[in-house]
Amino acid sequence: MAVPVADALSLAPPAGDIAAAGRLSPARRLMRSLEVAVPAAVLALLLFFCFIWPLVYPVPPPVGGSILDSGLPLWSPGHIFGTDTVGNDIMSRILYGGRVSFEVAAAVQVIGLAVGGLLGLIAGYHGGTLEAVLMRVLDVFIAFPSLVLVLAIVDSLGQSEVNVIWALTAFSIPAFARVTRAATLRLRDQPFVVAARLSSVKTWRILFGHIVPNVAPQMLTFSLLGAGVVIILEGALDFLGYGIPDPTASWGKMIASGQAMLSVSPSLVIVPSIFLFVTVVCLNMLGDGLRALWGVR
Amino acid sequence: MAGSLGQRAGCPTATSAGASGAGGAGPGSRPGAALLDVSDLRVQFRSRGGVVNAVQGVSFTVEPGRTLAIIGESGSGKTVSAYAVLGLLPRTAQVSGSIRFDGIELVGRRERDLRDHRGRNAAMVFQNPERSLNPTMRIGTQITEAIRCHLPLGRAEAHERAVELLRMVRLPAPERRFYEYPHQLSGGMRQRVVIAIALACEPRLLIADEATTALDVTTQAQIMDLLLGLQQELGTALVMISHDLALAASYAEEVLVMYAGRVVERAAAGDLFGSVRMPYTRALLNAIPRVELEPHVLLPVIGGRPPDLSTIGPGCSFAPRCPDAQQDCRLQSPPLKQHEFGHWWACWHPCGKGDVQ
Amino acid sequence: MNTSVTVGQPGSSSVEPSRQAGGAPLHRRLARSPALRVAGRRLLIAIPVLWGVTFLTFVVLNALPGDAASALLGANATPQEVRALSIKLHLNEPLLVRYGHWLGAALHGDLGTSLYYNQSVTSILWQRLPVTIELVVYALVITFVVSVPLAVVSARRPRGGIDRTSMALSMGGLSIAPYVLALLLILVFAVDLRWLPALAQGTGGDIRDLTLPAITLAIPLIGFYTRFLRADLLEQMQSEDYTVTALAKGLSRGQVLTRHALRNSAIGLITVIGLNLATLIGATVIVEQIFGLSGIGSQLLKAINNRDVPLVEGIVLVFATIVVLANLGTDLLYDVLDPRIRHGRSRS
Repeated sequence: MAVPVADALSLAPPAGDIAAAGRLSPARRLMRSLEVAVPAAVLALLLFFCFIWPLVYPVPPPVGGSILDSGLPLWSPGHIFGTDTVGNDIMSRILYGGRVSFEVAAAVQVIGLAVGGLLGLIAGYHGGTLEAVLMRVLDVFIAFPSLVLVLAIVDSLGQSEVNVIWALTAFSIPAFARVTRAATLRLRDQPFVVAARLSSVKTWRILFGHIVPNVAPQMLTFSLLGAGVVIILEGALDFLGYGIPDPTASWGKMIASGQAMLSVSPSLVIVPSIFLFVTVVCLNMLGDGLRALWGVR
Repeated sequence: MAGSLGQRAGCPTATSAGASGAGGAGPGSRPGAALLDVSDLRVQFRSRGGVVNAVQGVSFTVEPGRTLAIIGESGSGKTVSAYAVLGLLPRTAQVSGSIRFDGIELVGRRERDLRDHRGRNAAMVFQNPERSLNPTMRIGTQITEAIRCHLPLGRAEAHERAVELLRMVRLPAPERRFYEYPHQLSGGMRQRVVIAIALACEPRLLIADEATTALDVTTQAQIMDLLLGLQQELGTALVMISHDLALAASYAEEVLVMYAGRVVERAAAGDLFGSVRMPYTRALLNAIPRVELEPHVLLPVIGGRPPDLSTIGPGCSFAPRCPDAQQDCRLQSPPLKQHEFGHWWACWHPCGKGDVQ
Repeated sequence: MNTSVTVGQPGSSSVEPSRQAGGAPLHRRLARSPALRVAGRRLLIAIPVLWGVTFLTFVVLNALPGDAASALLGANATPQEVRALSIKLHLNEPLLVRYGHWLGAALHGDLGTSLYYNQSVTSILWQRLPVTIELVVYALVITFVVSVPLAVVSARRPRGGIDRTSMALSMGGLSIAPYVLALLLILVFAVDLRWLPALAQGTGGDIRDLTLPAITLAIPLIGFYTRFLRADLLEQMQSEDYTVTALAKGLSRGQVLTRHALRNSAIGLITVIGLNLATLIGATVIVEQIFGLSGIGSQLLKAINNRDVPLVEGIVLVFATIVVLANLGTDLLYDVLDPRIRHGRSRS
């Protein structure tokens, strides 16, 4: 949905973007680490509020609100963000909806990394027919508009958070496989890998001892950048009505249902949108910042 | 600034073979006045560990039509000095001191003025012919671009001039070459193109930064001959930057030796090689493999490594590696002085006269 | 390098440039052209991919609960009616048989009849495709008109005011979800300012109808391409020698960027477009839905809902073909634009 980071194309300014002498002044290093620290802190805060805060503080329930409370505006007492058309507290729906987003993103990326990463690693390293076949299969998935594929899968599996996760892996696994394969190919002919091969080091040892540590930073930043895309995709599913089933709250659904009241009470759309935006921006900034810091592609 | 060569009576003239600068002054300059006058040039780059002092007080002059060679290892500051003369340093570099071209100060000038100066008054030929030309642009276009940057010529006239330039650098079939791409030419031919680009607006100063380092020996000789020939024809002053002493010996009239951002020795080529004074220069000379040496003998190399330019110690920067170093060398840095006529050096304990082994 | 010269004859060499200009007739040269051969090979590979896409679609669609018959007849239909209609529509036959029928017909250019609309799929596509294509083209035009100059200006003074602002805005732009952006744009421009319509007025093709949707699609693209291009331009300015040569000629930084660096970046940019096209198409589905445009994106959603298999297959086929052809096209274009490849050398 949002433009994914295809392959290893760089979003960040090149890591070599420094003075001709080749080293960073203290001020710039601080800026660089701020680029990582600030979004990381914001994300940590969000995670805290979504997962831990409701356990500690009595937050009103996200569902089952009374119609008498409906349509309350922002900053109402007891309802910081107001209530929606059926009386649910928006703040609490944001928190619980955030849980969904983070859970889905984490699960999808972990599965993508594990499965897709492994596939890409093997394909890139061994080459030959295995790689060719894998690449063609991946091409099929990539030529497919991701939204449609995911939508169809959810529709056939039935709506639930778990099924949404499975459906989204159809998007993340090919993406990871592609990137891992490209990275593995680059590393494969490096002298140190060739040396290991020639010394009859076992393949799995080479893969996990040499190649994985070298592609790991790139994979991590890719995961972060991809997480943002997954959250947006998941939101798109919810928006279209195919994702998380009612009555669970999710940001996409809140935006969708707020659409009808757009001109009357825009906050119904704006509040979840802001949270969505901030989350994705932080994920992107974190991925980018780490990339610049580690000098990854 | 005093020190121009060959212009005063009774002064030993350069005797190295092959060098024959035009000696004539360019239009508009007074005879004897320097074309390029660099005085106490200092260049610093800000970095994590502090400041990198790439150039620490370099001074030299270049007369119109003469040939100067600047010799040094990597990191000696020779390329940075050259870039400073062309105004090509990035904005992160802090330049102080004076660079006067034809009497006009370049340090602290606006970018716009520097752009007028670059390519027109002074031009540069770079090291890697493979990489100096844009691979997706035709050669002819790259030359006409240089021409039309400064000269008010129309497309057709620029085209003609470009072909003329290609002919001047002795590229065969220049009309056809105009439309070709860099990858269709060999390394030597590409370097000729780069020279053509540099000479497009008839600059009065040409800087060749390791221009022949990436070429094989035969091509190297051809390119050097070409440069010398063009220099004579056009009256251009030539500054050769290199790490190759032998090259300097063959082609330059005056030689400057740089180390760790400073000039450490300076003399006419004949004087330098005939009576070397700086231990560093002597070591460089000794390191050149020679046919007369016995086979299977270890080459005399200079021990140690070039110093870290972010730290300036109190003593002579070559002291840690100098076989003749003594206590005062480590305590105080020797200044560059003209100890003999036409021969400067910066050393407390220079080699004796005629001390080339 | 491959010089072999005799001393004393400066300039002469026996080096042959890699290709002779002129000479063999055009068609023979084309046949020998390595670029075309590669293109042909890629085309051959593309075919199984397309087949794979259609097959996958068929499989997934058939796993969906419900079927076209029930969708057509509505919720009140009796099981018998549904069954009768199913038989009539051949829906009871096994999957592979149905796919075989469809594939056979498709290879002859017949994409079948929509189960829901009872119209030929081809005619539906013909009606609705232009809207989507206009939307995508409009979005791409906006993208390039904005991102290319912005990237150049940013690269001219790295870390300057404009650079920092444009990078921050780009980051924001590519982080916004299209549906969020669409609603916000509607809120601002259609509701508050009333400059542009929120929902399409005409049958599509009206520029004003397409503007907000195109902007919605363009903003994330602008964010991405501006950053990408800026990074590429700066890379060239910093690590390529020809930019220094150009500066030494007396050109300004801006001139070097536009005349030298941009040419080389353009080649990379084109490849990126091909890669992102699938995502762009996916985005049109949502955008058309929100803005009420009658393009094939919104049609796809409806068709999936209706379990209208032939229509879905038709649309998916169109999408996949566009993506595959676009990727092929960008590969070809890459080979054509880079003169090193054009003249027969391998890519450096």
